[in-house]
Amino acid sequence: MEILLQLVFSGIALGMIYAVIAFGYQLTFATSGTLNFGQGEALMLGALVGLSLVGNIHGGPYLNYWLMIPVVIVFGALQGAVVEWIGVRPALKIKSEFGWIMSTIALAIIFKNVAENIWGKDDLTFPTPLSATPFQVLGANVQPMQIVVVLGALAMMLAVELFNRKSIYGKAVVATSNDRDAAGLMGINTSMVITFSYALSSATAAFAGVLVAPLTLTGATMGTSLGLKAFAVAIIGGLTSGMGAIVGGLILGIAETLTGFYISTGYKEVPGLVLLLLVLAIKPAGLFGKTAIKKV
Amino acid sequence: MNTIGKACIAAALMSWSLASMAAEPIKIGVSGPFTGGSAPMGVSMRDGVKLAVADINAKGGVLGRQLQLVERDDEAKNERGVQIAQELINKEKVVGTVGFINTGVALASQRFYQEAKIPVMDNVATGTIVTKQFVLPENKDNYVFRNAANDTIQSAMIVDEAVIRQKHTKVAILADSTNYGQLGREDLERALGVKGIKPVAVEKYNLKDVDMTAQLLKAKQGGAQVVLTYGIGPELAQIANGMEKLNWRVPIIGSWTLSMGNFIDNAGKNGEGARMPQTFIQDPSTPKRKAFIEAYQKAYKVDRIPSPVSAAQGYDSIYLLVAAIKQAGSTDGVKVREALENLSGTVDGVVTNYSKPYTHDDHEAIKSSMVVIGEVKNGRVALAK
Repeated sequence: MEILLQLVFSGIALGMIYAVIAFGYQLTFATSGTLNFGQGEALMLGALVGLSLVGNIHGGPYLNYWLMIPVVIVFGALQGAVVEWIGVRPALKIKSEFGWIMSTIALAIIFKNVAENIWGKDDLTFPTPLSATPFQVLGANVQPMQIVVVLGALAMMLAVELFNRKSIYGKAVVATSNDRDAAGLMGINTSMVITFSYALSSATAAFAGVLVAPLTLTGATMGTSLGLKAFAVAIIGGLTSGMGAIVGGLILGIAETLTGFYISTGYKEVPGLVLLLLVLAIKPAGLFGKTAIKKV
Repeated sequence: MNTIGKACIAAALMSWSLASMAAEPIKIGVSGPFTGGSAPMGVSMRDGVKLAVADINAKGGVLGRQLQLVERDDEAKNERGVQIAQELINKEKVVGTVGFINTGVALASQRFYQEAKIPVMDNVATGTIVTKQFVLPENKDNYVFRNAANDTIQSAMIVDEAVIRQKHTKVAILADSTNYGQLGREDLERALGVKGIKPVAVEKYNLKDVDMTAQLLKAKQGGAQVVLTYGIGPELAQIANGMEKLNWRVPIIGSWTLSMGNFIDNAGKNGEGARMPQTFIQDPSTPKRKAFIEAYQKAYKVDRIPSPVSAAQGYDSIYLLVAAIKQAGSTDGVKVREALENLSGTVDGVVTNYSKPYTHDDHEAIKSSMVVIGEVKNGRVALAK
């Protein structure tokens, strides 16, 4: 029982990391029907910028961990806006179906290479603000930082959802996501809304980066596999549902740790991806997604 | 013939005659990962090699010619290693190559040196099969030499440390999924088998894995008293940190890579006490070692060598190769190989004094008597007491 609980706890912490990145995919998909395939790299950049501020690699530390978070979020937002401006807007303007796929991937590769040149290719440790000593919950060990990851991720998703539902700007986002052309006719600056959604999605990824960095190692290559896993999560949960991201993330995270223990560590990643195939075959819109009707 | 053509021929003749006037340098390839998770080993090896070459060149080189290094970053990728091997052989026309940090890269690349009859000195890669890739009866001669403690030696020492010195009977093995980790795991299981011990858990992980809970829980559930590892720095640090997450404290004993800077730094206090076989520890125990450590620190402005073992073995590999070139009186690959197999006199190295290090059928310079057990202490590797 303790074992199962331990595996589930680790799976939850892992799954919430996936969920935050998956949530970022959904933010841009909702408004523009496009995805930023550089979500993993946005996370990596956020973590490395955070490391420069709180670590001692560039002559720091300049800030303490909690003060660094807002700086990193602002950086993430700017980075997302740049991606939208360079990579996505031109593709949307010429109504290209798929141009944004290559351009966001291209930007991701560029970001990774730039990061390799600034921070090196080696993995670095991220100073942790909390004690790493685990405490016991029902016989299983949990680190304080793991709790922070879960709570931080939930809080951030909640904040974004509240913003979208309650504020007038949020309503503009929702209107754009429902029908971009109609929203435009109603006087909403839809291209501004799309830029905003990209900024928001990269900001969430950057925030996720500094949350998870103390648990994992930080380095230029950390985003690639996380970004891909999170994409699977977004598909499993459905690209139109915030709830889907959380549930999808938890399913994948827990499936990985359970398979690793009960079946074989060599097959750790298989069940999650089998699930992805099943979802695509049976309910292509994802577990929580609405089926999109595409007019042709 | 037009004037341009004539000018070209004249220029070519001129440069050719100029080149023959000054003795051409002897080109030696250096292949290793200078970026990525294996970089501490690759960079230290390269820097050790550069130190040795600078020393030799300052004393007039060999056969009256200077040594020239051709450095290439193989990024620890097999396919890069293969490209580099071909480039060094066909384009750069190297006399020999030193390097190979990663067992997988070595196994993929060595074929080209073997076919070109050019000796290659593995100064870090430890997979047991590395020097056995081209042996009798299929191949008359083997061009692969090594001066690193191979996995057969290391796994026996790891098992001795765990089972005999520390008296553990329940062991778990955690190895990464690369050629290095899996070949090492086989050697470990074999060495445990000799002692009549079956590991309680044998687990695998991928490079860049961020969560080791499942693997460690299996080891813990099996009642392991010690964790034996085969992997490289960053993931080894994840293992040590993962043990803290589970609040599970047992000793870590593993292959020599536990001495890598990126393990020691990233694991921090969780890495303290980890033990591993070492051919060289950054400890000025002999005058030769003292001089080497000081020269390294001065040349590269570091206090702690990122991977002292790699630096020392890299340094020695050049001296072994140069001794052979000198004895052969030629840079011809076949003659250099024959000289390496019959080295007369001793080669004064940092790791040890090599006397008759190789024979025709034994291409391993390091014997188990030259290897000691090191321990991570205060962020450095020290001799284990």
